[in-house]
Amino acid sequence: MAKKRFFLLFLFLLILFTSGCSPRQSQQVAGYIDLENLQPLEPIKQEVTPLRVAVASVVSPQGTVQSYEPLLKYLETKFNRPVELIQRRTYLETNELIADGKVDLAFVCTSAYIEGINNSEMELLVAPQVNGETVYYSLLIVPADSSAQSMADLQHKVFAFTDPISLSGRMYPTYLVQGLGFSPENFFSKTFFTYNHDEAIRAVANKLADGAAVDSLVYEYAIARDPSLAKKVRVIHRSPPFGIPPVVVSLKLDPNLKQELQKVLLSMHDSAEGRIALKSIGVDKFVILDDHAYDDIRVLLSDVEKIK
Amino acid sequence: MWKKSNNFSRINSIFNRFWEIAGAVRIQTKILGLALGLVILVGFGNTLQTRSVLSKNMEAQLREQSISVARDLAARSADPILLNNLLELQDILLETKSNNDNFQYAFILDQNRQVLAHTFGEGFPVGLLDLNIPTDLAYNQTVLIETNMGYIYDTAVPILNGKAGIARIGLSNEIVQKAVSQVTLQSISFTLLGVLFGVAVAFFLTRILARPILELVEATRSVSRGDFSKRIHPWAKDELGTLAQAFNKMSEDLAQVHDLRQEREGLQRQLLEKVISTQEEERRRIARELHDSTSQSLTSLLVGLRMLEANSTDTDRKQASDLRNIAAQTLDEVHALAMQLRPRSLDDLGLSAALERLVFDWQSRNKVPVDLAITLGGLRLSEGVETALYRIIQETLTNVVRHAQAHSVSILVERRNDIIIAVIEDDGKGFEVSTTKGELHLGLLGMRERAELLGGRLTIESNAGRGTSVFVEIPIREEENSIGEEKTRSVSG
Repeated sequence: MAKKRFFLLFLFLLILFTSGCSPRQSQQVAGYIDLENLQPLEPIKQEVTPLRVAVASVVSPQGTVQSYEPLLKYLETKFNRPVELIQRRTYLETNELIADGKVDLAFVCTSAYIEGINNSEMELLVAPQVNGETVYYSLLIVPADSSAQSMADLQHKVFAFTDPISLSGRMYPTYLVQGLGFSPENFFSKTFFTYNHDEAIRAVANKLADGAAVDSLVYEYAIARDPSLAKKVRVIHRSPPFGIPPVVVSLKLDPNLKQELQKVLLSMHDSAEGRIALKSIGVDKFVILDDHAYDDIRVLLSDVEKIK
Repeated sequence: MWKKSNNFSRINSIFNRFWEIAGAVRIQTKILGLALGLVILVGFGNTLQTRSVLSKNMEAQLREQSISVARDLAARSADPILLNNLLELQDILLETKSNNDNFQYAFILDQNRQVLAHTFGEGFPVGLLDLNIPTDLAYNQTVLIETNMGYIYDTAVPILNGKAGIARIGLSNEIVQKAVSQVTLQSISFTLLGVLFGVAVAFFLTRILARPILELVEATRSVSRGDFSKRIHPWAKDELGTLAQAFNKMSEDLAQVHDLRQEREGLQRQLLEKVISTQEEERRRIARELHDSTSQSLTSLLVGLRMLEANSTDTDRKQASDLRNIAAQTLDEVHALAMQLRPRSLDDLGLSAALERLVFDWQSRNKVPVDLAITLGGLRLSEGVETALYRIIQETLTNVVRHAQAHSVSILVERRNDIIIAVIEDDGKGFEVSTTKGELHLGLLGMRERAELLGGRLTIESNAGRGTSVFVEIPIREEENSIGEEKTRSVSG
């Protein structure tokens, strides 16, 4: 009897011992890799050269990916070839890519377009029409509880620029400051670049900046997406209408492809998929626009440049 | 079913063997073994369990960490990827590396699975890219990879659902291993401490438990030696204490019984001594009577008959001569009877003379040569010893005549220090000592009884066909010697 009990105790301890097995056995090992066996990476060759579409950093890079995705998909099906989205931090970088022919189609901002035309780097393909118009505005925004009524009230305050050559985000506010007899450097206590309009709105909403000038299209789109922003930000000034940021192509682009692209873009609003893609970027449709639509802006820019 | 029971019986037999060994060791060893066994079992069981739990928890934590680091990396990499800012990507990777102790590697893939930035320096490990490709780009995926640097948790986090690319990070589980081995080491050290403590406790326990047992064993041995005086101090009021009490009670009872028996034996011995001495006394009286009175009368009768013979006529002389012969023969017979009952020489001249006479008579009567050697140094022994030895030798010789059919007998009586030794050997047919019955048995018993009454010992060695040897040892005490000497003197004086 005592022996039997002894035996049971022994069994119990045996089980206790064997239960504490190694954790390594409980997980599956995916494979073995020798981390010192290094080999140079070979670039993946793509069988079909993709259609390269650049989008200027008007909104944040991730926002761009999301809003342009349906458009890229649309182009992919239309041209039956992969479409690659290319983004760069500054407008100038994008311009260079267009000039070098490393980008086929580009959604640029207005001032970048004017710069590009000046340097003979690109040509106008189509322009988006928003709310029946092919114009947009630069909006001077301040935090909702700010007492500022005009640019004059923002003296000695922190101001957020978007891109160094952005018309609505840098050139127009600079023009306003120059109108007051200052340069941005001695008018504001501090300035910084957010590189896109989304961030500028956010900077003002979070009171990182006492003011910023933003693209009206981006602003409306942002308010529509996040209505709570309207309570944090107030528009104190609206610029005269500017020619809308156009869609351009590289001068090095194959003329056939250029024509094909124009045709596809202009007819996008005729199909359901096209309309969905257009809606995603906040555009009614693409229209043909004459370069003269940007002449006013050229005057404004030269004024700004002169004073500088 | 049969196989199962067979297995069981095998295990059982192993267990039996174990018990054979374990059961045979000392209690001290058992307790020590039990304490050590328990400490070691619990200690190592605990170690294994702790290891297992710790390792499981830490591995899970590491897994979580790899996911959170990879997510962070993915979030921070999104913009640089989209803006093709490779320098910033590299910076983010290096920062991630410096912020995580168990960082092994990290790299960023674009949406085409092309490596944009990595931390391997020159080149990229073969096969690593394909080991962890998220099956669903909406979720991150973690796998365990075995490498030459140990095990690594590799987490892949799709950036913008894979539209921007994938961030991959590998965290080494070396920290887990280190922590686990550290804990193991600690745990084992604790176990060893426990073993030391266990040894100490077992030692103490052994003293508490084994000491009364050893004492009991010692006391039991004294009891079996006949010493009932030993008492055990009951250390505790447990089973051993009860046993000690029971033992003490038993010792007391045994002592009483022993005393009683000794008293009875003493009385018996006294009685026997009395019987023997009375018998000797009676024999001596009768022998003296026969010698003094009957022999005197017969001698007077002989003298009278001789005178009658000389003075009578021829026919009467013949008759007188016949009567004289009868009287002379009767005198001889009376002498022999007296001699047999108790030789006067035993009292007057001592054992040597009495034995010589006994042997001489026996030889001439039985025609069997006897070799008698007595070396007592001319001293008389106490009357009891002399009588006992005489009677034993007498009885032995009687037995030889009756049963042995011997051709020769040798008798040796010798004093060695404080012992008198007598050896009586014959070359007769012998007998089986253990199976003796009847008269012979009673005779042998009487001999032994006589020796033992004097504190001596009698041994008989005999085998069928090989003769018989009787060994007698009787101790002599100093005062007996002196009494003997006095007696000798008084006799000679």
